[in-house]
Amino acid sequence: MKLLKPTWVNHNGKPIFSVDIHPDGTKFATGGQGQDSGKVVIWNMSPVLQEDDEKDENIPKMLCQMDNHLACVNCVRWSNSGMYLASGGDDKLIMVWKRATYIGPSTVFGSSGKLANVEQWRCVSILRSHSGDVMDVAWSPHDAWLASCSVDNTVVIWNAVKFPEILATLRGHSGLVKGLTWDPVGKYIASQADDRSLKVWRTLDWQLETSITKPFDECGGTTHVLRLSWSPDGHYLVSAHAMNNSGPTAQIIEREGWKTNMDFVGHRKAVTVVKFNPKIFKKKQKNGSSAKPSCPYCCCAVGSKDRSLSVWLTCLKRPLVVIHELFDKSIMDISWTLNGLGILVCSMDGSVAFLDFSQDELGDPLSEEEKSRIHQSTYGKSLAIMTEAQLSTAVIENPEMLKYQRRQQQQQLDQKGATARETASASSVTGVVNGESLEDIRKNLLKKQVETRTADGRRRITPLCIAQLDTGDFSTAFFNSIPLSGSLAGTMLSSHSSQQLLPLDSSTPNSFGASKSCTEPVAATSARPAGESISKDSMIATSTPAALSPSVLTTPSKIEPMKAFDSRFTERSKATPGAPSLTSVTSTAVERLKDHNLVKEMRPRDLLESSSDSDEKVPLAKPSSLSKRKLELEVETVEKKKKGRPRKDSRLLPMSLSVQSPAALTAEKEAMCLSAPALALKLPIPGPQRAFTLQVSSDPSMYIEVENEVTAVGGVKLSRLKCNREGKEWETVLTSRILTAAGSCDVVCVACEKRTLSVFSTCGRRLLPPILLPSPISTLHCTGSYVMALTAAATLSVWDVHRQVVVVKEESLHSILAGNLAAVTFPFWV
Amino acid sequence: MAKVSVLNVAVLENPSPFHNPFRFEISFECSEALTDDLEWKIIYVGSAESEEFDQILDSVLVGPVPAGRHMFVFQADAPNPSLIPETDAVGVTVVLITCTYHGQEFIRVGYYVNNEYPNPELRENPPLKPDFSQLQRNILASNPRVTRFHINWDNQEDRLEAIENQDPALDYGLPLSYTPAKGLALPGCIPSLLPENSMDCI
Repeated sequence: MKLLKPTWVNHNGKPIFSVDIHPDGTKFATGGQGQDSGKVVIWNMSPVLQEDDEKDENIPKMLCQMDNHLACVNCVRWSNSGMYLASGGDDKLIMVWKRATYIGPSTVFGSSGKLANVEQWRCVSILRSHSGDVMDVAWSPHDAWLASCSVDNTVVIWNAVKFPEILATLRGHSGLVKGLTWDPVGKYIASQADDRSLKVWRTLDWQLETSITKPFDECGGTTHVLRLSWSPDGHYLVSAHAMNNSGPTAQIIEREGWKTNMDFVGHRKAVTVVKFNPKIFKKKQKNGSSAKPSCPYCCCAVGSKDRSLSVWLTCLKRPLVVIHELFDKSIMDISWTLNGLGILVCSMDGSVAFLDFSQDELGDPLSEEEKSRIHQSTYGKSLAIMTEAQLSTAVIENPEMLKYQRRQQQQQLDQKGATARETASASSVTGVVNGESLEDIRKNLLKKQVETRTADGRRRITPLCIAQLDTGDFSTAFFNSIPLSGSLAGTMLSSHSSQQLLPLDSSTPNSFGASKSCTEPVAATSARPAGESISKDSMIATSTPAALSPSVLTTPSKIEPMKAFDSRFTERSKATPGAPSLTSVTSTAVERLKDHNLVKEMRPRDLLESSSDSDEKVPLAKPSSLSKRKLELEVETVEKKKKGRPRKDSRLLPMSLSVQSPAALTAEKEAMCLSAPALALKLPIPGPQRAFTLQVSSDPSMYIEVENEVTAVGGVKLSRLKCNREGKEWETVLTSRILTAAGSCDVVCVACEKRTLSVFSTCGRRLLPPILLPSPISTLHCTGSYVMALTAAATLSVWDVHRQVVVVKEESLHSILAGNLAAVTFPFWV
Repeated sequence: MAKVSVLNVAVLENPSPFHNPFRFEISFECSEALTDDLEWKIIYVGSAESEEFDQILDSVLVGPVPAGRHMFVFQADAPNPSLIPETDAVGVTVVLITCTYHGQEFIRVGYYVNNEYPNPELRENPPLKPDFSQLQRNILASNPRVTRFHINWDNQEDRLEAIENQDPALDYGLPLSYTPAKGLALPGCIPSLLPENSMDCI
């Protein structure tokens, strides 16, 4: 272990109340007292880590300082994404900062060079609600919420995707609330206050889960902060200042039953801050020794008013290390580096210390995947505990994951837009405005500027705007309308271009003569085995028809992270025996489907069984009144949705699909029900007919005639497609038997036995190269310029012929067709 | 948090004869659209001894101000020589640019101004009665002194509270009454007398 006190990290001798390392490890923030205001400083990490960088004068140490808080800053916290910094202070405000990337002023006007800000951080939101000093702030896993606590005895939960919206104000403490920590699984948030209690709140309904008072009975409210911490595996919650036999301790609270049997003992004065290492460790395997698999353990740093710091491993009874008198005054905050090997500690005395551990000392950190596996085995799948990489490929099991994904996509889009804007504004600041260089503008500014007189005769100048600002991205741009999710938009483009590369089918009228040498078009959209559909695709599939995510359906255009991580967040751990709710069944259904999709055979399950299903490993004693209330709520939303859905869009396109099932039930309400046996899907294929006629519309009168195998040319049998529109006729021939045809006033399309789909204009011009379907056609439909094809393997594709884009690309409908349904209504959402 | 921050003030046509108008090109950034106009003022300090001799050269409203970066040129006539004490006409004094929103001053930029005769002869033997037509004004553009104040940018009701919260020590910006005796030609000596914290309250 190495210990370092970088003296250059200071607030000119004023106390530093908080420190937090950026998730990417390149910088850290401190918060505390400034000259006559609160102060937040962002520092460069590399001079702390490397001596060479510390000596190098070209490497900046301070990156940015913000004096916007009117009074002392008690807490600074980076969002998990690292994009935002939240700061809370004695001025009752929480400020959310975002880096402005365009080239701003390199110095603050009127200041000397040494105060230059290397990075520009702009306050994008000011959160006002607390009536007293803000003591601690905390971002939830995945940055859906921001929590803040205050000496006004409350905890406020902010909607982090829509600041400054408040989702809940948690009341119940009767003293100053001085610390917050989120459960890593996102199910709880815990707060500790001067009222000698630690309270755990549910994120499901923001109600009190439990209040723990016994270990705090002897405590006097004398610490400035009470920063508690939850272990990365979720099992333990460790409090700040607690007492055991009149000695100060950090109380360990077990998640299971909120038992308080253990504590960290040894500090001589009250514990002010506890911080768990973000990593879970396992014993370092020594070369030669037998590779005994050891239990993974966590690591925790404890700071106290006695000016000393202790670091503990949960597998050891004694502390790993204790550093006495590290500072002159109380320790105020601790932050671990993301790799888990370093910690920054700050003190009321205005200095900061850095501790650097080696892997030999702490152990081997588990990878994010391993950590996530531990989480999943304990809590089931949920949003908070999945890694970024997993989420992008995971099967969506609950609406939160879907929401999260959409949010990510939207964020990416927004970011791109913002970057574009920023670059644009940067160039306009330094370069030109409306084709004029800034220099030209300056020359003529006095002549050009608009000056008027107000009613009372005063001069009024209209300033010349030289650059637009991006005012942060917490703007309304978020989720106001999401016509299509980003990944769809992406695949739309790519599949579109791949289709352009398709070889022309020989059946096109003008290449008719060469029909013999015709090869099967090899499409990028290649055939896909029918069974293999639940993988990456089904995730998108569930997102499109939206039948599986009630909350998405009821509020399709708005993401409300309220109720966000509700029961479905960790849906396996919540049983609602005896009173099944439709929504939870739905989510179970997906999971079930996934579990069994390789086994193809699904056992019948009734509602009761599936909802009280017991994969869970964390049994949860819940007050029955609550679960009942929750149920009512959910049932209500489901009902609402049902009523709303058929009427929602007048362009709804009803379409019947029959599933080859012996016990086919009707009625839409069965759609979500798992009560009947589920089958491997194979949708019916229309058989080849000798000839058929299809009336497309009566006004204008338009019909399609199909005649299969009319002639044979050189051994190839040709089928004829004839279209008559108000007496005007055209016809063409195709080299394969036509199975089904469809048309609208804009397009005519036919699907052939060879799995090709041909699209013509109503005048007979081929609008798209033949499209090769992944499996035989089941149903074909046209509306306006949209062509929808449903294959026997239950994949759905929709093209917009006019815009020449794929709207929906081979989305599997397995998840919504599983179970027993005879009719499905597809909302035409485009 | 301040909605308006001044990015730069460029002093135009400097140095210039005493009677020429002052010209400042001011660029500022606004983080949120303002509902009302900003009011900018140029104040010429006639004598370091007393505020009595301060002259407000001009005051303009600037608006509307949407979010973004803006610039304008603020031009004001030269001070009225008859209001300047004869003993203070030559030498170092100060010109202030202030900006207020809803009547609350949130920034004050001070420049040292040196008035002297470019003619060496006059410099050696200055006339008893200052000859303003011969005086040249030189603004020390490279060394602005910036003082920022926290004000309430929002609705009117909270304004009172904000004013109460202001540090009374800062309320009257540059303590010019402390400026040392005239004739001190090196303005560099003066900064120590200005509020040291002026840079920190951004």
